[in-house]
Amino acid sequence: MDTPFFELRNITKYFSKVVANKDVSFSVGKGEVLALLGENGAGKSTIMKILYGLYKADSGQIFKDGEEQKINSPKDAMALGISMIQQHFSLVPAHTVTENIILGNVKGKIDRKACEKEIGELAKNYGFDVAPDAFVRDLSVGVQQKVEILKALYLKTRLLIMDEPTAVLTPQESENLMQFVRNFTAEGNSVIFITHKLKEVMEVADRIIVMRGGEVCGDLKCSQTDEKELSRLMIGKDLVPADRGSEEQSKNGEVRLEFQNISIVEHDQVPKLKDITFDIHQGEIFGIAGVSGNGQEELCEVVCGALHPTSGKLLLDGEDITDLNIRQRIDKGIGYVPSDRYRDGMVMDMTLAENMMLKTSFGKKWLKRGFIDKAKLNGCTEKAIQDYAVKAPGPDAMARGLSGGNQQKVVLAREVENGTKLIIFDQPTRGLDLGAVDHIHKVILGERAKGKSILLISTELSEIFALSDRIAVLYKGVVQGVFDRSEIDTEKIGLLMAGYAVDKGCSNEC
Amino acid sequence: MNAKFRDLLLTTFLAIVLGLGLSAVMILFLGKNPLDAFGLLFTSIIRDQYTFGDIFVKATPLIFTALSFAFTFKANLFNIGAQGQFYIGAVIAVWSSLLMGGKVPGPLALLIVLILTAVGGGIWGALIGYFKARFNANEFLTSMMSTYVALAIMNYLLRTVLMEKKGEYPQTDALNESVWLPTFVPGTRLHIGFILAVLVAVGIWVLLYKTPLGYRIRAVGYNADAARMSGIDAKKLYVIAFFISGALAAGAGYTEVNGVQHMLLQGFNPDIGSAGLGIAILANANPIGIIFASILFGALNVGGTIMGQMSGIPSSIIELMEGFVMVFVILSYFVRARLENRREKRKLQKKVEE
Repeated sequence: MDTPFFELRNITKYFSKVVANKDVSFSVGKGEVLALLGENGAGKSTIMKILYGLYKADSGQIFKDGEEQKINSPKDAMALGISMIQQHFSLVPAHTVTENIILGNVKGKIDRKACEKEIGELAKNYGFDVAPDAFVRDLSVGVQQKVEILKALYLKTRLLIMDEPTAVLTPQESENLMQFVRNFTAEGNSVIFITHKLKEVMEVADRIIVMRGGEVCGDLKCSQTDEKELSRLMIGKDLVPADRGSEEQSKNGEVRLEFQNISIVEHDQVPKLKDITFDIHQGEIFGIAGVSGNGQEELCEVVCGALHPTSGKLLLDGEDITDLNIRQRIDKGIGYVPSDRYRDGMVMDMTLAENMMLKTSFGKKWLKRGFIDKAKLNGCTEKAIQDYAVKAPGPDAMARGLSGGNQQKVVLAREVENGTKLIIFDQPTRGLDLGAVDHIHKVILGERAKGKSILLISTELSEIFALSDRIAVLYKGVVQGVFDRSEIDTEKIGLLMAGYAVDKGCSNEC
Repeated sequence: MNAKFRDLLLTTFLAIVLGLGLSAVMILFLGKNPLDAFGLLFTSIIRDQYTFGDIFVKATPLIFTALSFAFTFKANLFNIGAQGQFYIGAVIAVWSSLLMGGKVPGPLALLIVLILTAVGGGIWGALIGYFKARFNANEFLTSMMSTYVALAIMNYLLRTVLMEKKGEYPQTDALNESVWLPTFVPGTRLHIGFILAVLVAVGIWVLLYKTPLGYRIRAVGYNADAARMSGIDAKKLYVIAFFISGALAAGAGYTEVNGVQHMLLQGFNPDIGSAGLGIAILANANPIGIIFASILFGALNVGGTIMGQMSGIPSSIIELMEGFVMVFVILSYFVRARLENRREKRKLQKKVEE
């Protein structure tokens, strides 16, 4: 067999409290697309960060073309032709595309014109529609990713590592990315994909490394496996899809939340929300599909009270709650699982128990003689940890120390408890692994069965279809129609998401 | 003894030794024998009851101003104005004490003075929080500037209504003995203000970690966005946090005026705010840690003054010493974190190998 392009041998890495990688060995050949598959916390990112020189392995070796290499910093890695695109891009928003790409790779006087020309050509070669003189802050996430890729290409990368590259992309953008990967590897370069999405793995990868609990538990040729086998390897057990239960229930429920012509327009700007009118019944999951940034966040904040509409009314059980503030709405039984739990949902430097009382610190619930009833709080947190299968040492563990999925479960536990009438789920499973997604879906359906109303916002169509009773599509702050889930399919929704009216087949703007 | 506690004692002790060691080098540069100097430093602070008691007398106001900085620091706010709040507290303490001295029974007068001082300093501090909440004014700057305003107010009053009857110096008359804070160790100046300071430190710890208000203050400090989304009114908390912070700093004015000076002089204790800030950082803003750090600095102050008088070494060397100790203690946080990290890793490695 040929010498592999890059090879990792017996890499072990300890973090202070976990074994991140244990005896990990695998290789990547020239012209190969390798997918690194695994749940969150399986050690995928860690092993790649070791290869890229961001972390130092406690033991093990790295070979390039059969020769051992010492990679102590990303600079060493770049010298070997390795580039890595992080999940959160490392671009300077206030700089242009060109400035970002040449950052760190130019010396002396910068010949801007020449650089822009070179980058323009590079972009053209790969069919990227990127203007070299555009400012990064003006670009969409999909284009920013292309800038990251161009940065790697500019450095004449031979091995491109991408951490969850499709997490932020629309289906069309993902398709383009896959096309690029094929072109790039056809030239004899290699790509390593870190992902937990089975579908794209099957689509593009040549070989798949499955990781679980910091160890490699499978090294398979893509042609010789299927999604079922992969998911079993990844999770370690078979996954039973969440059951929606009775279909009829939701239709009979009374109206719980009513949007009446809600708009948000700030000083002659483009409306963030325009004339939103719909209602959610008891025991119903109302799904909102759409590409992110089309007013979803505003919609959620209008319901939870962080944002007040400039016109229109919001009714909960027939009562006007438009003017109530966040605290009053929490008291009314509205729960909110925000899309950005790091920013809005949790205090990372506090313990799990403290996070559990974040929204209820005003009530008498946790008080005993004026002081916080630690025993009661810990008891409730302990129960939540067990009920939601949170992997955590205990109620006194810092929120920061948990993996994303486990943090999300804690937020979920709190909001399910607080939201006695209505729960808003904004991207509840974004960036989470299959096991966690499955668990969260079951929780959402369970709350529906209890008669709670659920507003579900998601950019993942599969999620919308798996859970929702009715579906609305949001595009540029406008609801593009409300559909029963049986009336609509993925293709139609895809068109609506992109701003095409279903019947006319023509852009709204034309 | 658990490993974490052992680390704490060991690294702190080492930090102090290293700080003093580096100061010894500085003393060498002055052409003096550091061993003699340190010998003097240590023997002097324990040579008699009076001097030893003074350590705690000096520590008392430091505890208050350090708590003042630490409290807002927990809400991710910076109160650089403890000095000014201290002056406001001192003015209110001396004024109310002068009015009540000899007329109202001592203990009752002392209690009223304490309340007035705390409320007055609190309102002065709360203004900073209000400006931040209302106009989004940077609290760092407004609190710093408020010190100069407070200083000007104090100086103005000392030259006008509060000026001594003789009218010679910008200082007040001495307080009636009934409103002096009583001493509780005979033969020393150690007054009950020290006990008050310790109790307040414990109280602040309880407030921060055991009550919903303290919980909300910390939540806003760590993540203001999440706090807002949870219905917590950050602006209201800014005002409350600065009120408490101002009241704490004013407490130093109370103990200094009623406990030590028994009058108010122009420009007294000009460094108490900045020293408190340093101590708060030294103690990692932990209220209980602040008690010990203040006592350490109190001891260095007392010993340093005597060393300066007796050995011919300028007493300002003590500030250098404090600086070095502070640097090393702060470094020790990082050393401890690393030790802890390594210990966890070894534990894990052992478990894996088994």
